[in-house]
Amino acid sequence: MSDKIACSHCHLEFHEDVMIKDGEHYFCCNGCQGVFHLLMDEGLDAFYDKTKGVTLAPPTQQYEDSANFNAPAFYDKFVKTTKEGFYEVALVIEGIHCAACVWLNEKALINMDGVIATNINYTNNKAKIVWDDDMVKLSQIIDMIRAIGYDAYPYDVSLQEAKANKERKDYYLRIAVAIFATMNMMTIMVAQYAGYFSGISADIKHILNIGEWVLATPVLFYSGWPFFKGMYYGMKTKSVNMDTLVATGSLLTYIYSIYITLTRSGEAYFDSVTMIITFVLVGKFLEALSKKSIADTLDIMSKTLPSDVKVVRDNKIITLHVNDVLVGDIVLVNAGQRIALDGEIIEGNGTFDESSLTGESEPIHKTVGDSVISATVSIDADVKYRVTKDYAHSTMNNIVSLLENAMNSKPKIQQLANRLSEYFSTIILLLAAFTFIGWYAFSANFEHSFIIAIAVIVIACPCALALATPVATLVGLSIASKRGILFKEAAQLETMAKADVLALDKTGTITQGTPQIVHEEKFAEFDDSLLYSLLLNSKHPIAKAISTHIYKDDLVCFQLDNLKNIASQGITAMYKTKMLVGGNAKLMQTIGIDVTSSSENSEFYFAYDGKLFAKFELFDMPREDAVSAIAKIKKMGIEIIMLTGDHERSAKKVASLVGIDKYKFELTPQEKSQYIERLHNEKKVVVMAGDGVNDILALASSDIAIAMGNGSDIAIEVSDVVLLNDNLISLHESFKISKRTFAMIKQNLGLSLVYNTITIPLAMAGFIIPLIAALSMSLSSLLVVGNSLRIKFGYKD
Amino acid sequence: MDSWVIGMMLGVSIFLGSIALVAMMWAIKKGQFDDKEKFLNAALFDDESELNDAIKKEKKREDALKKKDYRPE
Repeated sequence: MSDKIACSHCHLEFHEDVMIKDGEHYFCCNGCQGVFHLLMDEGLDAFYDKTKGVTLAPPTQQYEDSANFNAPAFYDKFVKTTKEGFYEVALVIEGIHCAACVWLNEKALINMDGVIATNINYTNNKAKIVWDDDMVKLSQIIDMIRAIGYDAYPYDVSLQEAKANKERKDYYLRIAVAIFATMNMMTIMVAQYAGYFSGISADIKHILNIGEWVLATPVLFYSGWPFFKGMYYGMKTKSVNMDTLVATGSLLTYIYSIYITLTRSGEAYFDSVTMIITFVLVGKFLEALSKKSIADTLDIMSKTLPSDVKVVRDNKIITLHVNDVLVGDIVLVNAGQRIALDGEIIEGNGTFDESSLTGESEPIHKTVGDSVISATVSIDADVKYRVTKDYAHSTMNNIVSLLENAMNSKPKIQQLANRLSEYFSTIILLLAAFTFIGWYAFSANFEHSFIIAIAVIVIACPCALALATPVATLVGLSIASKRGILFKEAAQLETMAKADVLALDKTGTITQGTPQIVHEEKFAEFDDSLLYSLLLNSKHPIAKAISTHIYKDDLVCFQLDNLKNIASQGITAMYKTKMLVGGNAKLMQTIGIDVTSSSENSEFYFAYDGKLFAKFELFDMPREDAVSAIAKIKKMGIEIIMLTGDHERSAKKVASLVGIDKYKFELTPQEKSQYIERLHNEKKVVVMAGDGVNDILALASSDIAIAMGNGSDIAIEVSDVVLLNDNLISLHESFKISKRTFAMIKQNLGLSLVYNTITIPLAMAGFIIPLIAALSMSLSSLLVVGNSLRIKFGYKD
Repeated sequence: MDSWVIGMMLGVSIFLGSIALVAMMWAIKKGQFDDKEKFLNAALFDDESELNDAIKKEKKREDALKKKDYRPE
């Protein structure tokens, strides 16, 4: 056999004889050939210089009709008009793997007449395209993207996403100011401290104080604005929070320092003002940064549904927006299209892909009288169906709104630090007031009493308390991410540490998700190439598993005729004049071969010319580390439950293999989530781990949702934690890290409270001299930071 | 050293620093740091043809705008 040759477009390697030869170039498929010629014609061949050594995915060719994109309904929903009167749309471009792909898309689009501006984001592959609708239509733009081997779908730039972006930018600006001022402040403080010990002229000290004043002002009033806002909202709801303490503390310190500066007496504390605000602001920012937006999740969901459909009314075919379709309308669906509304087939038959709803990868055959469900895809059928539920009540929309509810009402376990800071802040403010009144009554010296009261707030100012949680979680998060565990939100470490129950999905989470061959029998010798050629024509996971199992370099692909995929049974084809059959026992019986199914595994038989040649038994094996990981998690005192949509037999087998005592089987996605709700009602904190679309509702309703790294995009979006390594040991580790981090948070809070119980009475008694206040303030923060770093012990990478 | 020298140096350095700070804030507001990947990859695609493209892009915008203005309503 000859050597493999790389396709000129996608660089994937194949045998010479299966490739399309075209001059000096070789292509693996027509798609690649088409893209290659297009790029050459457009003068974009520089793309191939930029993608050396990168393999691309060959372009797929099943697309919905792009004319849909020109429908008025579509324009209403996604297209905006710019100031100049151009149109603008936001698209997500699929198939981008590298910077060169972005380059190619931008180049190809801007070369089109009528396209005014393109801006493709390298990070999330979202594109903004501005065009002149008189010169080019949106459908042509999308056709162009498809022609060069990518796919694009529009998304609704929701308010939520825009808001999140604006918030992030706002933080950047405030932090930039804060850090700038803090760093400059530090250089001035070097002189101040040196002067404190070795003497400094009063004039220079005064000038340095004024410099600090200048630097501290924007930090307090610009960078610190969120704290004042937080305090204001806190006052409105009559609650005292961390913001109150930070805002009053820093504001009073600032006023006190101005007083000191102007009267040239004592020490100013402008540095504390900037430090406190900078530290706490950065901590706040880190938390905001990790918050995921629900908006993105729903984008992915709703892109799967078409926005308008062809409806037969009064013997005419009209295009209607999905919202305008009524129950009882007749809708036309062509092969390759998605179903938008639930209905019942009244004409035609064919196979449907329901994987987006059920997770079952096997296509299902449907005919007149069968119901079709929204979001499923018609693979090869042109059918008419009668709508039985309007758009708002169709299955997919139902799931989207359930999901929305579940994510918005996600149970929030109140964070320990927040609760503590509320009490703490109230107590400190009361103590300060009490101190003032006490000293005033005792000495009748307003100024002196006021300064001592401020000292109480300054010394208690919650640097250590505010840092206790963010620093510890940051260390926890960094350890986790080094081990392939991504926590999307810092607060989740604490929630996860309090977990009581772990609910696991079976397929793809406990098991590998693809069936493996566990038993193989050959009844007679045969040419593997025959079986291989047959299997290549099926997309069923069993066929895929066997074809990779028997794959050898010298296999040849035979030309087969009369291919038939028989749903949930197998596949048949003709090779020359003889029949090839591959499938389960039922299919064998229909062609007259008597086999009896006895195994609890999935079976696949192969027959050729009416004679049985081989039998394979397949089983979706648990992951290698499942047993040890589950044992370890159990040891931590966490109850484990397996939830699966599969039937009892295989659920029982997997559960007993990995050592899970409690399992629920044959659950629909809704039932899974109801089960988790039930656990919530028992006041349990539930962690759910899953990977598929059928788990998303359950994931969204759990306290902590964990997705496997190779799970479906939507599951990853919904979840709080992603296990990139895709193994169950990381699941155990994520529990371990979160428990450790939580323990550290508690220690930190304890430390800062101890520090405060010592210093506050001293301050109240008027004993705190400026130097001790400054030193102890830094010391307490250092203590907390240093303590947090201890989480790292025992995790050497 | 007279204390006004310190004051002046302090003032000048804070002023210079704040110019840089304002420039950075302007860049953040304009969205120059929105796409971190683009920031890095820009170095890969930075030759003559990209410059020409940028000019072409601007010209196209102007042309399209002109055409819009002349169009009879």
